[in-house]
Amino acid sequence: MPRWGMVIDLNRCIGCRSCAVVCKIHNSLPPGTWWQRVETIGAKTHHTPVGRYPEFFEVYLPVPCQHCEDPPCAKVCPVGATWQREDGLVLVDFERCIGCRYCMTACPYGVRQFNWQSSDKNFSQAFKKLGFSQDWFADPGYRPGYPLEHRTQDGRLVFTPKRPRGVVEKCTFCVQYVDQGFAPACVRGCPGNARIFGDLDDPKSEISRVIKKQNVVRLREDLNTSPKVFYLLPEATTWRGKIIYEKLLKVMEKRV
Amino acid sequence: MARTNLNKLSKFLIFLMVIGILAFIYQSSKGLIVTNMRNSFSWGLYIATWAFFVGTAAGGLVVSSSIYLFKATQLKPVSRLATITAFMFAIGAMLILFPDIGRPDRIYNVFLHPNLTSLLPWDFLVLSSYSLVSIIYAYTLMKPDILKNRIKLPFIKLPEKEISEKEYRRLKEEAQRKAKKLAPIALPLAILIHTVTAWVLATQMARPWWHGGLLAPTFIAAALATGPAIVILFSLGLLGFDEKLAPAYRMLAKISALSSIILLFMYYNEFFVRFWWHHGEEFEPLKILFGKNLPLHAVEVLFLIGSAYLYFRYSEVPRKLVQASILLIIGIYAHRLLLLGPAYNVIPLKYPVIVGASTIEWSYPFALGEVKGDLLNPQKVFVDYWNYIPSIVEILITLGVMAAIVYIILKLAEYLPIRENA
Repeated sequence: MPRWGMVIDLNRCIGCRSCAVVCKIHNSLPPGTWWQRVETIGAKTHHTPVGRYPEFFEVYLPVPCQHCEDPPCAKVCPVGATWQREDGLVLVDFERCIGCRYCMTACPYGVRQFNWQSSDKNFSQAFKKLGFSQDWFADPGYRPGYPLEHRTQDGRLVFTPKRPRGVVEKCTFCVQYVDQGFAPACVRGCPGNARIFGDLDDPKSEISRVIKKQNVVRLREDLNTSPKVFYLLPEATTWRGKIIYEKLLKVMEKRV
Repeated sequence: MARTNLNKLSKFLIFLMVIGILAFIYQSSKGLIVTNMRNSFSWGLYIATWAFFVGTAAGGLVVSSSIYLFKATQLKPVSRLATITAFMFAIGAMLILFPDIGRPDRIYNVFLHPNLTSLLPWDFLVLSSYSLVSIIYAYTLMKPDILKNRIKLPFIKLPEKEISEKEYRRLKEEAQRKAKKLAPIALPLAILIHTVTAWVLATQMARPWWHGGLLAPTFIAAALATGPAIVILFSLGLLGFDEKLAPAYRMLAKISALSSIILLFMYYNEFFVRFWWHHGEEFEPLKILFGKNLPLHAVEVLFLIGSAYLYFRYSEVPRKLVQASILLIIGIYAHRLLLLGPAYNVIPLKYPVIVGASTIEWSYPFALGEVKGDLLNPQKVFVDYWNYIPSIVEILITLGVMAAIVYIILKLAEYLPIRENA
């Protein structure tokens, strides 16, 4: 049995939010709901540098569900609707969740999203707000993304394009693709190839080799949730912007 | 309370209940979007009210069980009413959770698949056993008079015969004996319901405002403040004020006033420890408490101090007792509402970022979960602060549940022999 994990290389992340958009499309997320967020560390607005002249830095931090080894959300779920599968994925059973939102209180990463109203309503509101004359897809049955329901082997509904109202959802590492041997959509959609997805238990896998060789960090390590999403820190934080730009210029001079 | 006033009050309560039910139907049709809770602020007025109700419920049985455990016999005249309020507030606490959850239709999953590491099923268990114990307690205390007055009860078949004076005295003695046996079960349960409620929140490492061992003691202090205050209000309304009841009121007022002072002490003790270091996760909630939530905090502290003063000074004056109880209830309710803001608006994914020589605390913003803004008026989808003010629907539903509790207590008091005739 594999144990799925992800490495995100912050050197390679360009903060384009493609992962968030790809995720949204593939998982038919209702407008307003984001399983994946990308923000600039320290900045109030994304894509603005932080610091004082001449020392700026601009590092982007993508945050999907961390799929913790010791997930606080699964621990607090009163009905066991959120649980950790044997392969390490933390999933939500759409048919069992009672919508108490205790897990959202427990999650330190803020990745959990609630269906505050029916997802259809979200779509039609979004159409209207974007100025379309009609408020629905031309084909009424159409939803963006993976078109089928997906169940685990024991029959629990972990993905459906038509999201029920009043349940909590979150990033599943694209369980519908992973179960068929594909990498999650954000991994495949990242233009900078900043993400590596693979089996943490297999010492020969790329992800295990990267984690072994390089310095990786996890978010809120102090809470002992043991996330399975690892980050490669950008050198820029240790070098402080200025020097990086100088280095960059030298490289460019040589080219010219 | 005069009969006509009681009738007017009942009508008003029925009105509130109907509005509450309509609001609940509206919320059920639209979804929880009609509340002002969002992804970053996932629990709101309902949960604050739940904590308030659990506290009030716990306070009720503490009053009646301490008669036997601590020989506080002056409380005897109000003990029956106290058990009824305990029972109804425990029921109310379970009731207020229904509008809070997204899928009330699936609540049976709590029985089918309870997750025992979560404290919510435990809370449900202790709350339901508590309401059971409190209704048994109430029945035990009132049984002699129920038999004597031949009051018909649902589900229980009672012998319909004349009770002689001798038999009545025997029944009373038996009731005392049984109550004495029940008291050691009731008191720990009363403490337990509020402790488990506090643990639901205090175990969450991601919320530094709650996390820690002091939340449960403050919850108990709050319970011991509101429980007696509610009993004072109800018994002043239903039993009135006379020499026989005066010692009971004095005692209740003292318990309540002392508890609110202890509560404030524990509260500020915690604040000082958090404040002294002046940085980091433990300190962040204080910035919100003394910043955006300062008005509510002022209400809480000033009202609690005001009520303690009135309780100590005028425990013999019915009008002042009413004022003090109302002040206290508002104060504790504000205290309960303050569970939310400093907890949710301190985002757990937070990093100190060094800019020049200073450090700024940077929070990773939440997705609100709502379709916001349009092309001409873009609005933030990801926020790191959510100014939660309960929506009208939330307020109406909460008021409806409160009205239902009060109404049923009044009706039960009308139907059952709440007066102790020694």
